[in-house]
Formats: sequence, C-alpha cells, structure tokens
Amino acid sequence: MAAAQAGDSAAYRRLLDELGPWLRRYYTRRLPPSIVDDAVQETLIAVHEKRHTYDTSRPFAPWLAAIARYKWIDRLRALKRLPTEALSEDISVPDHESAVVSATVLEQLLAGLKPAQAEVIRLVKIQGFSVEEAAARTGQSASLVKVNIHRGLARLTLTVQSQAYADG
Amino acid sequence: MDDLLDSLVADLEPVRRRTSTGDALAIGLLCALELSMFLGVGSMRPDMRFAIAEPALWWKFATFGVLALLGLGTAILSFDPSISPKRGLWWIAAAVAAALVVGGIVNAPMHHQPDLAVRLNWRSGLQCVMVMSVLALPMLVLLAVLMRRGAPTHRRGTALAVGVAAATWGAFVFVFACPHDDPLYVSIWYGVGCAVTTVYARALLPLLTRW
Repeated sequence: MAAAQAGDSAAYRRLLDELGPWLRRYYTRRLPPSIVDDAVQETLIAVHEKRHTYDTSRPFAPWLAAIARYKWIDRLRALKRLPTEALSEDISVPDHESAVVSATVLEQLLAGLKPAQAEVIRLVKIQGFSVEEAAARTGQSASLVKVNIHRGLARLTLTVQSQAYADG
Repeated sequence: MDDLLDSLVADLEPVRRRTSTGDALAIGLLCALELSMFLGVGSMRPDMRFAIAEPALWWKFATFGVLALLGLGTAILSFDPSISPKRGLWWIAAAVAAALVVGGIVNAPMHHQPDLAVRLNWRSGLQCVMVMSVLALPMLVLLAVLMRRGAPTHRRGTALAVGVAAATWGAFVFVFACPHDDPLYVSIWYGVGCAVTTVYARALLPLLTRW
C-alpha cells in the first residue's frame, strides 16, 4: 500500500489481486451469497478512495479490516431497509405424502430381506455409495456385495410381483 | 471484477497521506486565527483585569479548554478508520461530570445571590447561546472537511466528537468576552449553547460524510 500511495501501479495491482480473495472469504461468512460480489467491489473502491488514510508506520491488516467491517455494517443496514413481504399462513407447498409412503413401503420390503442384503441395497442403491465403499463399511467383499445386491433386488421383485398379483 | 481492478489501477495517482499531525496543525492555525480576530476586534470583556482574580473565570477557561482538547483529540484520532471514538467520548463525559462538580464547589460562595430568574438572566443567556454557536461554526466547518477527507468508520460517534469539539471551542473563545461568571448561569446557558452545536453536528455530519 505504501508503494501504491506513491503511485506504483504494479504494486497496487498485486495488492488488489490479493485483497479480492481475502474480502470474498470475509463477506462469504457474513453476508447472503447474492450480495458478496457487490460488497467486495464496494470495499475495493473504498480502499482506493481512502488509500491516503493508511498510515505506513502501522500494520495494514487492521486498517483493511476496519474498512471491510464498515462496509459490512453498511450492507447490513441496506438489507434491513429492503422491503420484505410476510408469507401467508395458507401458502401452498408441494405434497410429501407420496415420498413418505414410498419410504415406508421400501423399509417394509427391505425388512423382508436378509440383513446383509438389505444393508448393501441401502448403501449402494439408496445412499449412493460405490460397491467398494459399501464393502469397506459392511466388511463384506466387493463380490459378495454385488451378489447380495443382485439377490436382494431379485427377492424384492418377487415380493412386489406376488403382492401385486394378490391385490389384483 | 478484473474490469474494476483495471479501472482502479488506471486511476492510480500519488496521494498525500493524511496524518493526525497535519490535521492538528490545521486546527491549531484556525484556533490562533479565530482567537486573534475575535480579540482583535475588541471583544474582550472590559473587566478582564479584575475577573482574572475570580476562580469562576478560571473554571470556565479550564472546563471549555479541556473539553475542546478532548473533543478535538477524539475527533482527529477517529478520522482514522481503525480507531473508534468511544473511549474519547467516555473521557468527555467524565470531564463534563468533573466540571459540574468543580462548578458546584466554585458556586458555593455565590449562594447569597438573588433569586434564580435573576441569576439565569434568560435574555442574556439566549444571546450567549447565539454568539457561542456562531463562534463554533468555523471549527465545525474545518472539522467537517477533515472528517470527509478522513475515513471514520464510526460516523455517528465521530460526528458527536466533532460537535463537542466545535461547540466547546466556540464556548472557550466566548469566555474571553462573556461577563457572566456565575457557575449556574454558565452550566445552563453554555450547556445549551454547546448542546445546540453538538446536536446539529451529530444529526448532519453522518449524512454529509458518507463514504
């Protein structure tokens, strides 16, 4: 900054390049993501306009942090002034019934399988782990995991088909 | 973002650093100028030779001199973004309390004076308020300019310190001309005079010095 105060463009560019990521981290922790960029840019402009107030005999970080904090508070005040609208009590939301029913039915079906089969189906087919990860978690070999998944799914298919036949 | 950085770098010019010493020098110059002009036009109270023997006059000088110094120091320091005016404002509050206590002690021998309305002399009091406010203006303008040039991050606190500094400086200058030494009169009317300048500085300066 001392060099920038003397008019050294290259040093100033380096400084601004380093300040950008620091300010982004600072505001990411304190502001909604949609206004982080604006806050960073506004602070860089403030640093530019007030660069003559930096006293080179003192550390740079507290000076920068004070400006960043000042702009942060400014942003918070601006956010407070933004008009907000209360949500109605009877606002419609998507129905979760089918998801809840599916999860319950699936648990009932899995309960009919051997525990080793149900466990690897949960890990690989529902939670998205790889076969190797499921093997590491359950202590089964990778090939046993594959066999258990295959047999478990086949048994589930049979169960569903027989229930559909019975209902039909 | 790159466009912004490019434009900032393109706009770069050498700057003259702001220093507290530079601000203090400018203020010192204004103080000397204002005081010499005020006394130069013959505003000094005619009985000054006798008044200097009164403790009440010294109490007035000390009170407003100390408050002006504290206010100016707090204001100048808080033009730096990393310095808060809070501690200075607490010192000012403590100094006001101490001044009132000392004023009460100085006031004790004057209890034989007539009734309150005569002691407070509201016509003269309002004149004092007006003159003090006018005398505070040059300092207020200079401090506002310095505040705009600085980077105060606690604008309201800094504006309050600026208001106190300008108001008490105006009162200090006025002490040379004001014939009233009654501590009760001084506490009330000088208090009102200082409050007027402080209130409008506190209300206006945060708006005028946004950055």
